[in-house]
Amino acid sequence: MDMWASVGPVAVFIVLLAVVAVLRPAFLGGGGIGILAIQATPILLVAMGQAIVLHVGSIDLSNAAMAVLAAILLAKALGPLGAPAPLVCIAVVTVIGAVNGWLIAFAQVPSFALTLGTLGILQAASLVISKATTVYVTANGDLLSPLFGTALASLPAAFWVGVILAVLLWAMLRFTQLGQGMTAVGLNETGALFSGLRTRWLKVLAFALSGLLAGVAGVMIIAQGGAASTNGLGSDLLLPGIAAAIVGGTAITGGATNPVNVVFGALTVALVPIAAAAVGVTPQAQSLVYGLVIIIAVALTMSRSSGVVK
Amino acid sequence: MTDTDSSVKQTATADRAGSRRLENPGHRRFEWKSLGELGALIVLLVVFTALNPGSFLTGANVRTVLDQASQPLIVGVGATLVILMGSIDLSVEGVMGAAGMTFVLLSANSRHTVDLGPWAIVAAMLVGIALGLLSGLIHTRLKVPSFIVTLGVWFVGLGIATLLFGESAIPFLPDGSLKSWPTNHTLGLPNSFWLAAVVVVAGALVARFTRLGRFTYAIGNNEEIARDNGVPVGRFKLYVFVFAGACSALAGVLATLELGAGSTTVGIGNLFLTIAAVVIGGTSLGGGKGGILRTALGVMLLTVLNNGLILTGVSPNLQSAVSGTVLILAIVAASWPNRSSLRIVK
Repeated sequence: MDMWASVGPVAVFIVLLAVVAVLRPAFLGGGGIGILAIQATPILLVAMGQAIVLHVGSIDLSNAAMAVLAAILLAKALGPLGAPAPLVCIAVVTVIGAVNGWLIAFAQVPSFALTLGTLGILQAASLVISKATTVYVTANGDLLSPLFGTALASLPAAFWVGVILAVLLWAMLRFTQLGQGMTAVGLNETGALFSGLRTRWLKVLAFALSGLLAGVAGVMIIAQGGAASTNGLGSDLLLPGIAAAIVGGTAITGGATNPVNVVFGALTVALVPIAAAAVGVTPQAQSLVYGLVIIIAVALTMSRSSGVVK
Repeated sequence: MTDTDSSVKQTATADRAGSRRLENPGHRRFEWKSLGELGALIVLLVVFTALNPGSFLTGANVRTVLDQASQPLIVGVGATLVILMGSIDLSVEGVMGAAGMTFVLLSANSRHTVDLGPWAIVAAMLVGIALGLLSGLIHTRLKVPSFIVTLGVWFVGLGIATLLFGESAIPFLPDGSLKSWPTNHTLGLPNSFWLAAVVVVAGALVARFTRLGRFTYAIGNNEEIARDNGVPVGRFKLYVFVFAGACSALAGVLATLELGAGSTTVGIGNLFLTIAAVVIGGTSLGGGKGGILRTALGVMLLTVLNNGLILTGVSPNLQSAVSGTVLILAIVAASWPNRSSLRIVK
């Protein structure tokens, strides 16, 4: 387990990349890594939020819908509000995430059921706000263009934003009381409660962070596409997000998360369709492959110490 | 999936566990709690009739509501059994897509693939059973939590449907007796509703009188005690997942017949509606308490609510918000009395 947690996600990514490089030599030469990083960026942000929620032993089925809602709000607000618009949109979904966490922690309901309900509300909100069409950014679009327009080491700035956030999250989990409290909640919530930790508020914080990162993912969607809709760019991030968190070594039982490894999880998940095409699987099988990847990754990596599995 | 740390749960909530043991689910089925939902349904009917005097309580609209309720009713039978067992099945929309697509491609259709006649329905059911078997085997043998397994199988099902669909034109069912069967009337009510009613009654009888049903309640109430008493927990969990897969597949065939064409997303919206209906009906997400007839009431409540709101002029885009809000209110209301400062819910 320890070996897997530290080097597993990196190794999986390198092996998959090697397979693609051998079968499709043009991928590495033709700037494939840069394209891969662009595709991995929204997945990475949603996956980090999911990883934090998984870290406290819950799951957030609504964070991908939050990213879409944030993107639609931003497409509407960027013109009138200008530079503060992204911050406003991120703040809105952060509050939604916090409300999720508050209900889960204080009404004591299962997270998958509550966030399934929130998912429905968010989808409807996105449909109503976007009037079920694509919303285009009308003005100030150049404010966000540096995110994907500038590159560092041939990777877009947006990807580096994700990497920096991952390092910050890692430092928070590793060095701060809040982070270590979250780890305690994930490893043994009863023990954390008896130790006097404010476990309920730590859960609220985890869900609020999930909302915040989903908001950043929404900003990236707009920066990348300049438009948002309920079925366009970024509308199917839920499963890739969970897959990236788990392939990145996050235990669904909680308490074991390395946000830096989630970066490699996201890169692997973004590479899966490319690798699948390279070994001759049609792109139509993409959701089938994602579904199997999740099941296999969880089956291989989860610890089975607890007796009853529901 | 709710209460995990069993030792603490037992000490911290001993009084609650004691009162729970007295509540035999079989004998409590129609007490005041379910009358509450019946009352809510009647209130909804009165309110929407008052708001839409000419259009709500008409024969045509009643048939529309019953037809709309038929798919979630069928899915709800399997979903209730899975939740009674303390697990969850998120795969229903994927299974519906895969089964529906199998059915279209093996029936007479505009792509002229093959026509197996009624055997196409059998094949579609087998696809559902196979996917249920897959979920059940991974859950029981590899000990992966059911929400992750079925989340994966949801997308495996969608992937199978997409692969079967391929890149050719949309396969349409020909105009004929089969396509119009669900909306044709028998004794004044749509056939789709009769099919759903048969499945619901059969499911309720299975839950009440068979070993499968009683063991499902026993596993949901306390899996360790059930195992200690000789219940083959793994085997019966597998049966329930297979049963749920078959229910979803049947609903997928029905949905495809109503749509008249093959579509990967034929099951869209059913997951929300059924899980919300199961919880509103009063089946506990922790397992062991509730029943299929309660879920049927929950489905009717949500279908009437959605239908009434649309007739009153609320945008259909808000449908998922209605189900979502009702789901949240229902789970919060259901768990509120059980709150305790030491209770752990994941």
